[in-house]
Amino acid sequence: MPSTSGPLTPGLASFLKTLKTNPIDTSIDNLISLLKRRQIRHSRSCATATAYLLRSVISASRTNDANKLIERVQYVGRRLMAAQPREMVVGNIVRRVLGLIRDEAEDDREGDFNLSEAGSESQPQTPRGLDDPTDALSARHEGSDRGASRNPLPALTAAPISMFSLLSHPEPENSLPGTPVSASPSGRWLGFGHGPSKDIRAEVLDGIGEIIDELGQVDDQIAAYALDHIHSNEIILTHTSSTTVQKFLLKAAAKRKFTVIHAESYPNNHEATHATVSGANPHDDELLSTESFQKPLIALGITVILIPDSAVFALMSRVNKVILGTHSVLANGGLVAAAGTRVIARAAKVHQTPVVVVSGVYKLSPVYPFDFDSLIEYGDASKVISYEDGDLVDQIDVQNPLYDYVPAELIDLYITNLGGHAPSYLYRIVSDHYRKEDISV
Amino acid sequence: MGPKKGGAPKQRGNATETVEETLQAVVLADTFETRFEPFTLERPRCLLPLANTPLIEYTLEFLANAGVEDVFLYGGAHSDQLERYINASKWRAPSSPFKQLTFLKSTSTSVGDVMRDLDGKHLITGDFIVVSGDVISNLPIEGALAKHRARREADKNAIMTMILREAGRNHRTKASSVSPVFVIDPTKDRCLHYEEIDQHNPDSTRLNIEAELITSHQEIDLRQDLIDCNIDICTPDVLSLWSDSFDYQAPRKQFLFGVLKDYELNGKTIHTHIIKDHYAARVRNLKAYDAVSKDIISRWTYPLCPDTNLLPGHNYELRKGSLYQEQGVTLARSCVIGRRTVIGQGTSIGDKTTVKDTVLGRDCKIGKNVTLEGAYIWDGAVIGDGTTVKQAIVADRAVVGKNCTVEAGALISFGVEIADGVNVSEGLRITKAPREEDDGVPTSEPEVVGEGGTGYEYVPYEDEDEDDTASNASSGLVYNMAHLSLSSDSISTLSSEISDFGGSRSGSFSTTMSDDEESDHFVHDAAASVYDSLRDAVTSDVVQLELVSLRMTANASDHQVRRAVVSAFMKRVAQLMEGGKGAGDAVREIFGKYREIVERSLFDREREAKPDQVDLLLLIQQDLVHRSRGDTVLLFTAKELYDLEIIDEEAYEQWWDDERSSSTEEMRQVRSQTQQFVDWLANAEEEESSEEEESEEDDE
Repeated sequence: MPSTSGPLTPGLASFLKTLKTNPIDTSIDNLISLLKRRQIRHSRSCATATAYLLRSVISASRTNDANKLIERVQYVGRRLMAAQPREMVVGNIVRRVLGLIRDEAEDDREGDFNLSEAGSESQPQTPRGLDDPTDALSARHEGSDRGASRNPLPALTAAPISMFSLLSHPEPENSLPGTPVSASPSGRWLGFGHGPSKDIRAEVLDGIGEIIDELGQVDDQIAAYALDHIHSNEIILTHTSSTTVQKFLLKAAAKRKFTVIHAESYPNNHEATHATVSGANPHDDELLSTESFQKPLIALGITVILIPDSAVFALMSRVNKVILGTHSVLANGGLVAAAGTRVIARAAKVHQTPVVVVSGVYKLSPVYPFDFDSLIEYGDASKVISYEDGDLVDQIDVQNPLYDYVPAELIDLYITNLGGHAPSYLYRIVSDHYRKEDISV
Repeated sequence: MGPKKGGAPKQRGNATETVEETLQAVVLADTFETRFEPFTLERPRCLLPLANTPLIEYTLEFLANAGVEDVFLYGGAHSDQLERYINASKWRAPSSPFKQLTFLKSTSTSVGDVMRDLDGKHLITGDFIVVSGDVISNLPIEGALAKHRARREADKNAIMTMILREAGRNHRTKASSVSPVFVIDPTKDRCLHYEEIDQHNPDSTRLNIEAELITSHQEIDLRQDLIDCNIDICTPDVLSLWSDSFDYQAPRKQFLFGVLKDYELNGKTIHTHIIKDHYAARVRNLKAYDAVSKDIISRWTYPLCPDTNLLPGHNYELRKGSLYQEQGVTLARSCVIGRRTVIGQGTSIGDKTTVKDTVLGRDCKIGKNVTLEGAYIWDGAVIGDGTTVKQAIVADRAVVGKNCTVEAGALISFGVEIADGVNVSEGLRITKAPREEDDGVPTSEPEVVGEGGTGYEYVPYEDEDEDDTASNASSGLVYNMAHLSLSSDSISTLSSEISDFGGSRSGSFSTTMSDDEESDHFVHDAAASVYDSLRDAVTSDVVQLELVSLRMTANASDHQVRRAVVSAFMKRVAQLMEGGKGAGDAVREIFGKYREIVERSLFDREREAKPDQVDLLLLIQQDLVHRSRGDTVLLFTAKELYDLEIIDEEAYEQWWDDERSSSTEEMRQVRSQTQQFVDWLANAEEEESSEEEESEEDDE
């Protein structure tokens, strides 16, 4: 019922609609209250809203001074992060935008002295590994060494796809739609012609535009790796109604036949999970319209078995691979994902089943989880015990955590839009994407 | 799924219409109840903090969630405070989700008045939501709204949808003393009958359901397990219905009951939307305050929890064990903070203090060795060393000394200071708000607050139990009329006088009438309404009309009508005299202008015995016993009634001879001055009769 629910319920759609017409401060407050009221939730919606908002913030600020822009973005970012500290993607996007501004400012300065040197750089793909190519090179060795020694997935290492292999052999991967290799860092090199009086603001806006594009394409980019990881006749276990996972499986299903066991993730996500499995329209405003028309796996002839969460351990012995979506990924390789993920990951560990996490790079947070209790959000207790049961409500404390923290050692592989990475390697991607100065905004 | 599918095409059909229609909401910031006294003496109820956030924030948040764009906020008591608060809040900022937030002040004394006022203002253009300013809910309202619209589309007479939350038989959030019973036709979600059952009153434990309801409906649900959270989706017809029935005051007990009863007459139907998930509750009394606070802390109301930080500037974080703590809290090393606790910024807690199930506001100072259990300590309160507070409320800036004990149910209002070593006993209410009777600074009662403390025990007009308004909640009076904001000439004082009157009278008149509760209602309501009209100088026709309609609804006897009229008249007379008028002038003014009303309550003009007139005189006499200069007023009243030919000479005689009029010392004293008038009457009569005799003689 888009006709009635559209104007009624505030959410991402209404926010984006009003963003253009409202003054910028209104939009900031608006997003803050939407985040607080949880009317915008899910990582992607939060990230998209943040990116659009920051784009408006920057286009509204009439200055070309990088420091002022940084201050402004920091101020807005702090408020947004305070509004919903557990949506870590908000902070991630803010940090990336700050990084963009800093890059532009530095380029501006470098450009003054050193145009020719910068121009001579032939493959300037990684945003910040450039300054010292040897460093990047050694890192690459280190990375591949680790991959070899850990050897978590024999099947996978046969065709190791890490970011650096991707960078060094870009040809086969370039067929992917809008690979971030070309997306994230390239915009700034367009600035040559402008010389010293380069328009930082315009460059940053371009950069944010690319982040927004990335957010739109990230699932498809991840899905492009599906055929490398899912093989015929495998039994895959997954959890929640994550669209990233669904697209990943769908992509593989187009070519291969396999079996999916889907844990229903009661009580917070079971309805959406059921809808995903059965292909019913989930009625979820947060999802963009194209995704809600997605075909279910069963339409492609894949056997999908829906199981209660409690049966995960019993079935784990038959599972070849566990594929999980996530809420956010932390710098130490651990992750915060829908409640129940940790149980699955542990069960997989016991049975030595490989655990693969699919996640966009935008979910990767530079936050190191010293106190992971604080990262977990507690939801509505009535989903666990019905509120009608007055005697019970009166006497017991009911807790309904929405998320689980899964430590890095339970994860075998991350697949991001940049490729597959070992958990221990994520720190490198963090340092690629975020500036040291911005880790604490 | 079934009904939804049916509704969907219709929705799409009138999509263009619904999109243009902005959703409006009316917030009743004052619910015209006294449940939160003594706190509400100084602060509007919807600004009382619930888990450190003012109540109204939750309600507005709910409306914002529901996508409401126009909000009309009706302030009642202390509306200036509320207005100040709203104007400074984020709801007035340009980023407010409301396109329009209108603050309406009114002199209303009931929900009914507010609705009629709203109808007069013509502000409502389409469907609107009515909520009271103390609703806490995380319910997305679209479902109910869509159903309501579909129903209205199908049938213009479906005027209202009530949202009810299902809850078990015993539930902490349910009202415990008065339980509403809904009779519902589950096939159409239609509410057929509504009644409130008062568990403390044995008379009202029966439901009266018309036999026709049972015969004419296939299926009937009788439900007592519903939390009525007073969220109503209404069509503009509701307002006109309120206006039509001008004596309705309460939204449920009278309006809902009345509309359902008059279904045959007006054909309007009221529907229910029963929800099984999501949270919806009202902070209707202190017991509910406690229950809802617990619900919020246990996250049943998610996302409306302290760590959502609804107010800008709040920065609560959730720690293990439902402990919400703001930054800048000073905790002594040896203090023990138990589960389910909220601690605001700037609060310090001393050594070896135990805190459990407690909400602490900002900048509180809790001493050493203090025990807090189930307590609600509002901003800036100070608790001295060694004190124990259990299940009590300590309001803003109140000070509790050292080694005190505050027992369960005690309410310590704003700024009260309790000296060291005092034991505040169970259910005690202490305030230092100016009393209504004496305008000056209230004197402290050392026996309550100890030597050097400030504050006195607050005694509500109606004897209310702690935390729970118990039997009074059902009496309708507390619910409708007793209203805090009224000043010295308030209805509350009037009603209490009437009840005094009723009490003493029933001693002396025990034979003449049965003094059941129903009649008291009527007398209260009618007296209040007549008195209002007199004060506002409404014409006697209107007063008469209102009185008659009240009489009809309550099926009151003539005696009750007279009682109501007399107490209203006398009250007005007394007030005029206070204003500097002479007794004679005052009496003449009132009785002259409203002669008809008195006249119409008497039906014995043609008969020999004059019981009605005697009754009236007795009532007047009785009423004046308690008033200053009652004797003088009685004299003038008697004379005026005679001059206006309302009361005949015979009636005066009968009254004078009636033993009831001289039964007590007070009664005799009041009528002492009237002696001369009666003597004069007797003389005149004698003369008359002798004249007659003479004329007869002449004839012969």
